[in-house]
Amino acid sequence: MPLVNNKVGDDCTVGTDKALADGKALVDSLIKVVACYRHLASCVGSCTDSLQLRDELRQTREKAQNLAVSICQHLTSHLRDKSLPEEQRKEMELLWVAFSSGLELLHVDMCKVFSMGDIFSLANSASLVQTGLQGGGSEVAARALSLPDLNQARAPEAGLESQERSTMEQEISQIDHMIDDMEMKVNVLRWMVEPHGPQYADPLSSTDSASLALLSVDEEQPGHQPQSQHSHMVVFVVLFAVVLVATTLSVCVVFFS
Amino acid sequence: MTIRNAIRDHGQRYRPRMACLKKAEKVLLEMQDPKTGVKSQPQRLVITTIPHAISGEDIIAWLADRFQIDSQEARNLGSMLVALGYIYPLQDHKRLVIKPDASLYRFQTPYFWPTQQWPVEDTDYAIYLAKRNIRKKGILELHEQEQYNRLHKWMNHKWDFIVMQAKEQYRAAKERKKPDRVVFDCQERAYWVVHRPPPGTVSAMDYGLERRIDPNADEVTGESLHMIFTQQSIMRPRVKSSVSIGALVKYCATYNSHDPFLSKCLPSNPWLTDDVTYWTLNMPNVEIPTKMRVERWTFSFRELLSDPRGRDDFRLFLKKEFSGENLAFWEGCEDLKWGTAATMREKAEHIYKTFLARGAPRWINIDGKTMEITVKGLKHPHRYVLEAAQTHIYMLMKKDSFGRYMKSPVFKDTLKKAIAPEEHKFTDAQLEQNAKNRRPSLSPIILRQQELEQKAKMAASAPVDITQVMSKLSKQGKEVAPRPPSKN
Repeated sequence: MPLVNNKVGDDCTVGTDKALADGKALVDSLIKVVACYRHLASCVGSCTDSLQLRDELRQTREKAQNLAVSICQHLTSHLRDKSLPEEQRKEMELLWVAFSSGLELLHVDMCKVFSMGDIFSLANSASLVQTGLQGGGSEVAARALSLPDLNQARAPEAGLESQERSTMEQEISQIDHMIDDMEMKVNVLRWMVEPHGPQYADPLSSTDSASLALLSVDEEQPGHQPQSQHSHMVVFVVLFAVVLVATTLSVCVVFFS
Repeated sequence: MTIRNAIRDHGQRYRPRMACLKKAEKVLLEMQDPKTGVKSQPQRLVITTIPHAISGEDIIAWLADRFQIDSQEARNLGSMLVALGYIYPLQDHKRLVIKPDASLYRFQTPYFWPTQQWPVEDTDYAIYLAKRNIRKKGILELHEQEQYNRLHKWMNHKWDFIVMQAKEQYRAAKERKKPDRVVFDCQERAYWVVHRPPPGTVSAMDYGLERRIDPNADEVTGESLHMIFTQQSIMRPRVKSSVSIGALVKYCATYNSHDPFLSKCLPSNPWLTDDVTYWTLNMPNVEIPTKMRVERWTFSFRELLSDPRGRDDFRLFLKKEFSGENLAFWEGCEDLKWGTAATMREKAEHIYKTFLARGAPRWINIDGKTMEITVKGLKHPHRYVLEAAQTHIYMLMKKDSFGRYMKSPVFKDTLKKAIAPEEHKFTDAQLEQNAKNRRPSLSPIILRQQELEQKAKMAASAPVDITQVMSKLSKQGKEVAPRPPSKN
């Protein structure tokens, strides 16, 4: 570590702390956008595929790319800075690993959407697979896009499909190059990176039991399906009846006494 | 433009092409057509209904109708589609078969279709397992638990990312409407049942060995390649079909009675009756061969040489004729060709000194041109340096010695002594007894030791070299000092 005044050292660490926080925020938002993109991509080719979905995909993708470019610059400049203190470097490397993994996921999803868009063109709507989905991905796209940076939710533009495809090709190759560039410029030893988090993520909320119940209900034999719910309902009805009887009796007692 | 794999495969291993995937996709697209495809019905769950469920019997009926096949085959085809992951069952999701009753299935979304281009990533699997764990702790099954731990060990550096991505995907899923969420969960679950099957099940996505060339890469075609191809096809040697077919017919007629599948195996086929007499009678170094074996030697010279007992007999004959050096040279060349690379140099030198050098003790008679080529090649010996000389000697033996061997008293004697075993006629009880008495055969290690002992014994009693014989016969002193008997 170079000889540095204490004061300057503090400034340095403060500066890099801020840089770390910035980087972390950017990477978090990239991860969120990648997750949303994946959800949207799973709808492509299904019966809910539409111009709107494609447009949402495009917007999410653009957002992801902008984020990616800014994170790339941010992290590359900091990691190439030789005067970075050790713990900061470790944190940066963690961010870097997360960023590159997210970028790889995004790249695969983009490739898949590209090739699926090839096969399932919206013109021939009979060939879209009936998968049982009913709603589109609008809410997911809204989640992806509604971040402090960008907030315009544009109406779907009827752009030419071929133009769209060539832009997509370009963007895919751009991400490709970005990945390659990153590997060239910054040498992060992946086996030296240690994660902070636990092995098992904590459950986020316990209020998702409804959809769990739906899924587990799915499992059982079709005959039993209504029965478990019926038994619950029967219990409730019985309880309600008991409460009703009790209140009537108490009212009678009050009346006749 | 080809969309490359995201994960750079530096080991350059490519999954082989699964041609069935494209065909299955076509079938699936036809099946899901709302008008002409399989009849779809809504699936009624507690709070909601989800459309586009299809029943197993409808699928089978549609397939049978479309391809004009019977229902068993339609069922197999349907099960194949399920096993590949194009259709997933809604009940009993771990068994990937089509049940010919009212059990429900649904079409998989194209995002989760099996592809040949993009490998199924462990990162995605880790995210999926983490997501399931987030939803309800402890829901992972044992094998999934093990996989999760293994992935945690190997992808440790990415683990923060995986957990965060799992959380984000979970939150994004919650934004969707409930029935869509259920459908997406079913889809994802089905995808991972196909691509990470629970232990003990067979996966349809097993594709065997990986390839060294990328099947998606464009083939290099060019005019020069086309030229080379056509030139080679012109240069190929040709034979009239009457000739080649005649050769095949002759081969079949000759070997018909010797083939254990086409005719009886005397005394009895050990694989059928569990009686090993056949093998003991036909051991490589048996004293008295069977008649069938001796008959085989008469088919061609190659048969005689390839059978160790036949070769022994031939060697005996040549010893009596004092022309054993040809066979010894041929065997030495075989040894060089098939031996270890470390011993090649000494072997080549030994063979040269023994057989090829001027005034060698067992000098073989090959023509001048071959000798010249061989000697030149021996300056830088390699495995096939003696190939030309070996072929010459082989032809010599075949044209000359083989004929004489067939007429010789040695052969006639062997033929007379050869045994023709009677056919076994086992009753069922005896067959059972044989099966009980099955024993393992001699270990290959012991067999090899026996072979080596045999070789050493033969070398010790090697035939006397020609110079010694001549000196003994003519009782004249030779300028060349008598060399010790050469070892094979």
